[in-house]
Amino acid sequence: MKKIKIILLLLAFGFVALSLNSCGKSETGPIKIGVLLPLTGHQANFGSMEKNSYELARAKINAAGGIDGRQLEFVYEDDTGKPDVGRAGAEKLINVNKVPMISGGYSSSVTFAAAAVAQQYRTPFLVNTGSVDKITQPEAFNLTVNDGAKFYIYRLNPPVSEYASGLEGLLANVIKPATVYIIHENTTFGTKGAKAFQKSSEKLGIEVLNVESYSSGTVDFKPILLNAQKANPDMVYMISYVMDASMLMKQAREIKFYPKLFVGAGAGFTMPAFKDNAGKASEGVISATLWHQTLPIPGAKEYYDEYVKKYGGDGPDYHGAEAYSAAMVVADVLKRCKGDYEKETIKKALDATDMMTVFGPVKFQSYGKKIHQNKMETYVVQWIDGTLKLIWPKDLANADVVYPIDWEKIWAE
Amino acid sequence: MEIFMQSLVSGLLIGGLYAIIGIGMTLIMGVLKIINLAHGQIMMVGMYITWTLWYFLGIDPYLSIIITVPIVFYLGDGISRFLLHPLIEKDSILPENQVLMTVGIGMVLVELARFIFTSDYRSVQTSYNAKSVYIAGISLNYPLIIAFFAAIVLTGGMFFVLMKTDLGRSIRATAQDSDAATLMGISSKRITILTYSIGSALVATAGIFLLPIYYLYPDFGPAFTVKAFVITILGGLGSTVGAIAGGIVLGIAETFGATYISMGYRDAVGLVIFLLVLVFLPGGLKRFTKI
Repeated sequence: MKKIKIILLLLAFGFVALSLNSCGKSETGPIKIGVLLPLTGHQANFGSMEKNSYELARAKINAAGGIDGRQLEFVYEDDTGKPDVGRAGAEKLINVNKVPMISGGYSSSVTFAAAAVAQQYRTPFLVNTGSVDKITQPEAFNLTVNDGAKFYIYRLNPPVSEYASGLEGLLANVIKPATVYIIHENTTFGTKGAKAFQKSSEKLGIEVLNVESYSSGTVDFKPILLNAQKANPDMVYMISYVMDASMLMKQAREIKFYPKLFVGAGAGFTMPAFKDNAGKASEGVISATLWHQTLPIPGAKEYYDEYVKKYGGDGPDYHGAEAYSAAMVVADVLKRCKGDYEKETIKKALDATDMMTVFGPVKFQSYGKKIHQNKMETYVVQWIDGTLKLIWPKDLANADVVYPIDWEKIWAE
Repeated sequence: MEIFMQSLVSGLLIGGLYAIIGIGMTLIMGVLKIINLAHGQIMMVGMYITWTLWYFLGIDPYLSIIITVPIVFYLGDGISRFLLHPLIEKDSILPENQVLMTVGIGMVLVELARFIFTSDYRSVQTSYNAKSVYIAGISLNYPLIIAFFAAIVLTGGMFFVLMKTDLGRSIRATAQDSDAATLMGISSKRITILTYSIGSALVATAGIFLLPIYYLYPDFGPAFTVKAFVITILGGLGSTVGAIAGGIVLGIAETFGATYISMGYRDAVGLVIFLLVLVFLPGGLKRFTKI
């Protein structure tokens, strides 16, 4: 009798185990997609904005029925802003979490390191912020532009060399500066951004007086600013993350450095935290940007409002919009996979992507040395009376550019 | 010339701030004979307390010294009494492991701060924050001037306590030879715990003076732990006067490096000096100051 009981019990367990097992495979559980972001470390501020946006998108997707009836789940991996940790994180997502696709990628150097891992394991990687050009250049991975079928990296955001394309229009048509002083962070993003702007300057006939770098987290920026002041440029172009950006502007105000204009290359200069920390010194600063909530893109304003409602604060800038759109692209791609969530199917679906997001239209194209690159316009914003206003292109702007700027007056207490 | 003078003054003022960060570290290193790798993190805790007081209660950062410093003092007391001293007491536990303990404490503090305050950047905005005086075309930032004079007062005070008071003599005695000090009737346990608490309180004070100039986030500590370590080595282990000299040397060297070589190599300049001191001047600036 006892033996039968035991056998029955074992059988019962066996069934439970089987059904559990088939549960995982019978495609009713959530679909897991990896997301690599800096959730701790000095870029955590950006990482958490992006994570919030991913979560906002996920809630929306799942509320609308998920992916063919299955829930979408994001597995987050913290890259801490360091390339080696990012590499390990991507490997973990692919080998331990077994995700068929990775998204995210914040800083350029981390994203490039993680991209190499994704490429090695033939896992599609949808980059949404990492902006150094080589990420979507197959030659950086020992491939050619004709190897699209072997290249697993896709990028939603424009590369850093195109960040200033909108700005070029403003400079050429309205401001026409004669000289520029470039200050940049000594990282991949900063160095490449500075190189790209030097090229733009050449094109626009602006003389580059000097290019200076600094390391992130500096307390005292006065040496660099004093050298810039002595050179007496028409404009100062800065490529910095948010807190360095605040420190630069605060100390420029302190030493009474008044060039015709201060221009930021996106990244830190459009963040709400920039205004909070720089205070008065943020006034009048112009920045290139990839997105603004008042752009006539369907859903942009709604996304912004929903974010503010859920997380409070000053709302997201372009980083949040990139992340939100990446999540939407992921959902769209998975829906088009028709139940077959294998890496190759996902890659084919990515190739065929042609959709509208809150960040603008997304379609992965080939041009120049790049493939799988989404091509888009960039814009120019300015801090006017404590809010970020869209000032260029003219037909989309919601405010006129404030120029010339009387720094003494607008920076006064 | 103006740039030269401005760099010199900037470096001097920043150096004053570095000195306060370094004094706490050098004291702990002298008595406990360990590198306190949680130093920057303790500073971060002090800064978060100050920030909270300012943000929610509107208490001026400098005024909050009377609240923040005692809290951090007792935090240091708790850490050394319950976490570090039990390890120091046991001879079988190598000093390396006490250092590892401070690494762990640092990590816990960072994650706690992240849990409570999230990763957002914080800074205080006061009326004097960005104010400067201008003397002969050189800008002097108010908070930096205050920090510089605070550094002089604090070092002077520390120096007086160490040289002239009973407590100071006990600390120096324990630093020189803890067995002999115990034989003379000094409780080495009490002195170790007290030293760590004083060191923590000092670095929290440094944090308060840094907050109006800089900004704050949970992972802010390690960079300043490294700075404190460099200053301590420059100044000579356990020497308060050495620490202030070390801080100022580092501040000036970094600023000149930034002005005349490249801002990108600012940290490299500091570390090169660190290496040169290790190679050519083991014992640090203490060899000149003698105390």
